[in-house]
Amino acid sequence: MLSMFKSIPTHMDYKGQKLAEQIFQGIILVSAVIGFIYGLFIQQFGWTVYIMLAGFTVSCLLTLPPWPMYRKSPLSWQPAIPETSGENRDKPQENQSQKKKKHK
Amino acid sequence: MNTVLSRANSLFAFSLSVMAALTFGCFVTTAFKDRSVPVDIHVSKVMIKNVDDFTGPRERSDLGFVTFDLSANLQPIFDWNVKELFLYLTAEYTTKSNALNQVVLWDKIVLRGENTKLNLKEVKSKYFFFDDGNGLRANKNITLTLSWNVVPNAGILPLVMGSGHKSLAFPESYEAAKSY
Repeated sequence: MLSMFKSIPTHMDYKGQKLAEQIFQGIILVSAVIGFIYGLFIQQFGWTVYIMLAGFTVSCLLTLPPWPMYRKSPLSWQPAIPETSGENRDKPQENQSQKKKKHK
Repeated sequence: MNTVLSRANSLFAFSLSVMAALTFGCFVTTAFKDRSVPVDIHVSKVMIKNVDDFTGPRERSDLGFVTFDLSANLQPIFDWNVKELFLYLTAEYTTKSNALNQVVLWDKIVLRGENTKLNLKEVKSKYFFFDDGNGLRANKNITLTLSWNVVPNAGILPLVMGSGHKSLAFPESYEAAKSY
């Protein structure tokens, strides 16, 4: 069952991660300020906590799932070079480094 | 921040830190408030007996019985940082053998949201008013004061004394009730 959850893609690219972090920090701080002022006004600390929890829930919905806006600037990888047996002679250094990795 | 769990971890830790800062802010807004209110104590009946003191050495000590009325408005004390008040009525006096005696006669817990106007009549003491010896008989000056312990959401728990006390004298002989 766990493998089903692990197979859902949840990645974001780097700019998306930065955007997600800014979004949730902004939402939490804004809800904290609003909650503090409202709680101080009606003299009940419970409402401060409720407003903070509401901000937390909104942040969860906005930043936890990998929305498309977080995948707008993906890294441009080099095209994959197809591996043939001729490659081993042409690039001996890569071969040695591959061997070192396999030993580890 | 590449996986859901990593993002959830960052988000939750940040929220907890902000919540801790808000709680500190709550403490700072009420740290220097004066939490004393005027209290009115009236005593209706006083009596003493001389009995064996079961709480200490087997000697006969004075046991006092006080019936009193209390009234106070505790509403100004409750702000957003007060969870409950622990009220207690203290009797303070001097005897020949001890310079200072303080005995708690009665207590009550007032939670936030309960009725904060205290108006009790003909209340008997909850706890035994034993003296260490025989110093209550004919004692001219026994002072009753109402104090409370403020239990906050965040911060220090101060012991505050209400402004207003009642001084009374105990009767000259045992088993003789004195009415006020």
